[in-house]
Amino acid sequence: MPNPTPSPIHAPRLPIALLRALLPRAERDELLADVATEYAHLAAERGVGAARRWIWWQTLRSAPGLTLWRGWREWTGFEPRANAFRPGGAMLKTLFADLHYAARRLRTRPTHTLLVVLTLALGIGGTAAVFGIARPVLFKALPYTDAGRLGMFWMPGWWTEQEFTYLRDKFAGFSEVAAYRPSDVTLREGDSPARLVGGISTSWELFDVLGVRPMLGRAFHRGDDVAGAESIAIIDHGLWKQLGGTPAVVGKRVMLDGTPTTIVGVMPAGFWFPDPAVRIWRPQPIDPERQNGSYAFVGRVAPGGDVNHMDAPLRRLTTTIKERFHYAEGADKTLAPAITPLRQALLGSMRPAALSTLAVMAMILLIACANVAALMLGQVEGRSTELAVRSALGATRERIIQQLFVEVLLVGLVAAAAGAALAVAGLGTLARALPLGAWSEGARFDWSLFSAALLLALAAVSLVALVPAWALRRGDLRGTLVGGRTGGIQGRGGRLERGLVVAEVALAMLVATGAALLVHSVRNLYAIETGLRPHGLAVIDVVGSAEERSADRGRTVKAIAEELAALPGVERSAVTMKLPLRGGGDSFDIDIPGNPAAANTFTNFRTVTRDYFATMGITVHEGRTFDASDQPIRGNDTSHVMSIVVNDAFVKEYFPGQSALGREVRGGFNVPQRIVGVVANVAETALTDSAAPTRYYLGDQTSWFENRATFVLRARRERDIPALLDQARRIVQRVAPEMAVQETTTMDRVLDEAVGPARQVMSLLAVLSALALALGAIGIYGVISHFASRRKRDWAIRCALGLTAERVMAHIVGQGVMLVAMGVAAGLVGALALRHLLASLLYGVGTVDLVAFAGAALALFAIGAVAAFIPARRAGTVDPARVLREQ
Amino acid sequence: MKAADFAPLGVLEEQVLVAVLRAGDEAYGMEVRREIERVAGRDVAIGAVYATLDRLESKGLLDSRRVVSEGPTRRRFALTRAGAGALAETRAMRDRLWQGVDLRGLAALARG
Repeated sequence: MPNPTPSPIHAPRLPIALLRALLPRAERDELLADVATEYAHLAAERGVGAARRWIWWQTLRSAPGLTLWRGWREWTGFEPRANAFRPGGAMLKTLFADLHYAARRLRTRPTHTLLVVLTLALGIGGTAAVFGIARPVLFKALPYTDAGRLGMFWMPGWWTEQEFTYLRDKFAGFSEVAAYRPSDVTLREGDSPARLVGGISTSWELFDVLGVRPMLGRAFHRGDDVAGAESIAIIDHGLWKQLGGTPAVVGKRVMLDGTPTTIVGVMPAGFWFPDPAVRIWRPQPIDPERQNGSYAFVGRVAPGGDVNHMDAPLRRLTTTIKERFHYAEGADKTLAPAITPLRQALLGSMRPAALSTLAVMAMILLIACANVAALMLGQVEGRSTELAVRSALGATRERIIQQLFVEVLLVGLVAAAAGAALAVAGLGTLARALPLGAWSEGARFDWSLFSAALLLALAAVSLVALVPAWALRRGDLRGTLVGGRTGGIQGRGGRLERGLVVAEVALAMLVATGAALLVHSVRNLYAIETGLRPHGLAVIDVVGSAEERSADRGRTVKAIAEELAALPGVERSAVTMKLPLRGGGDSFDIDIPGNPAAANTFTNFRTVTRDYFATMGITVHEGRTFDASDQPIRGNDTSHVMSIVVNDAFVKEYFPGQSALGREVRGGFNVPQRIVGVVANVAETALTDSAAPTRYYLGDQTSWFENRATFVLRARRERDIPALLDQARRIVQRVAPEMAVQETTTMDRVLDEAVGPARQVMSLLAVLSALALALGAIGIYGVISHFASRRKRDWAIRCALGLTAERVMAHIVGQGVMLVAMGVAAGLVGALALRHLLASLLYGVGTVDLVAFAGAALALFAIGAVAAFIPARRAGTVDPARVLREQ
Repeated sequence: MKAADFAPLGVLEEQVLVAVLRAGDEAYGMEVRREIERVAGRDVAIGAVYATLDRLESKGLLDSRRVVSEGPTRRRFALTRAGAGALAETRAMRDRLWQGVDLRGLAALARG
């Protein structure tokens, strides 16, 4: 039996506090006294050190047992007879009671509950989904070793094999540099039809530069990229799975572009370069003399260097380039050397869209939180009498706050579940709506997305619960019961509630201005004259193998074209080697007898078929387009003259103020070319580029079709297009099994793509700003109707004394409009502060656009006035006598 | 009383019941823990003891009341009739279990 007299030795505070938190209240004090006595006893007997060890051991070992014990008591409701008259009870018990009460309260007001849950769920689900999609672009590390040391050389897509061969061992400041170019391939495995797979051709150094080894097989070696080397390829993890997913895939032979090729390696899952659509990497036989090329250089900075400070090595490099190469004016590659960090080079263009969408989603979530907080606050005020009674009966403030918190927590959990469900459901739609290309295709639901939703929900809910808790801390609950009948917990102002609505309107204003800016910008883009009639045009892109002879390819293309033209429902059809609005394309030098200024200049060069201009809806301004009189040219017959059609920009550049008809030019081909017609400027490369001089050649005369061709069909009826595309696909497969259909689409879609990410971000933002406005309206409505009902009695007295209903209504609507005005002002400040976020997506609009700002503000004022008018009308039409009797 | 009337006691349950019996009038939580420690020679977490005491009381094997004395008030435990029966039955079952076991052979086996 230990000594029961109090000992001067005190037990350490932390374990005692822990035990205090865990023990049931009814027995807490006496059990703690026992522990303290035992501690003192042990300390006296075996020393303080042993006693300390003992109490810590006891606390930590007891924690799970005590927690289970408490839970067990809650669950079974067991309370020992000995505790019958002890004060207090388990915290958990009140928690269960609170949960029960909260669930009942929420059930009895389904509209309110639904509104709150839906509002939060939309914010949570949307943010989680956008986060899931944008994560690889914004946050994930690049799948390369030490990616911070990788950089992309300037003018990607412009370097030649000759330049690379010369510079290969002279790249100052870099430990290794690889040259690569996009080169999608047709893949045939056995007898299955060919399909197009994204790929690149590269010098052998690529994987050494990136610092990534294949998961199976080998990387490229020196000597893989010389002419005559065996045809090999490395594939990505996804393609490996499709080819069987066994180690035996390494060593397998497949047909790539019609060439038997051995797969030598498989990259690990998660690897991509330069984007996830690329699934095959092939060594490119580098020809030291080849001068046409479209290579990009990617390099690893030598140890000690910094990819952001490459000025000195670049100066040395340009000097080296100048020693060997001489560039024409306007094509000098040594003028603006720069190294872009790889992350910026590969993902930079997608950042603004991903970031702005994520920001908008976060704003919607904040709006939703503000809304729910305001609704909850209104609830607290509406329940002020109930809370005051409970307080008078002995409920502490903490107890009441706990109950409110439990209610919000319950709402939060339900909203998290609904939000996660929404995120899963909306993931695909959102991924398609975001302009993230191949990155968003990989967006899948995973648990990190769910935990993101849950975390967001908990954070949001805590934020929401803070507001009524804070209001309660400041307010005087009992005062409500004793005194004022008109004031709420915070007196008449309801300042907090109104502050929330102002914040909400400000956020909605931010979202709405962003949307308005984009709408304005996208409208500008669509208003650009493209020079063709995109509506009703079906587009079929076909690629063949590069190995096939050009003449054979020409014959195949012609055979397909004839079959396509014969399809019912096709009004006209044509073939071009490159469709307008898709960027890039080939250009040829030009030589005009008697015009020395034309030397060393280039024009766009397009090969088309006879009906091209009529099919595309391109207007002829002068002369004619191709017809039957333009005979094919055989072999190297230089006595013939080719017919060409040029555009307005060509005439303006080379024959200003004269007629170009009948004039002869040279360049590109070794035969003279006579201009037979002039057509309108067409947006040959990008939508926003100014018109460039262009020469159109007849395919029959050049027999020069690259390994890709685009068929365009003008449909008689627009609704036939999907069926036409389907039939076209089958015709290509039947007539030319060695060719692959790369894409079937419509010219309208091509135009949409040319308008670019702004269009997609705009549609998304338009939907989101509608959501933000709707949420804002709910907030304004809630606060104003609460404001009106709180001051009902004041109005009633004044009405009884002669105030007109119109004045009451005007006053209430005025309150709403004032809130909106404050919110709009705050939102404008925010929009100005954040204007750079959207800058890269805008065309023809400043980031400070009065029309957009005014439009957004007007929309908010209109919505605010309507939302305030509903409660105002209710207050204005109420019978004062009834209100006065009511209280 | 038949064995089937009781769910078999767990080891800790049995130890707690015996300790309550041994502690007599002084059978409160901390003393029960100390008693087990003394007899079994091992440190037992006080939380586990409290939880077991409660569970045994809910099963009707123990009863608790508060006794006001000059010291602090405590919940003191005593065996109920059912508790005494369960303990006796557990012991009888153990005896039956060991009947006829060659203890000398066992000891030799344990020594290796």
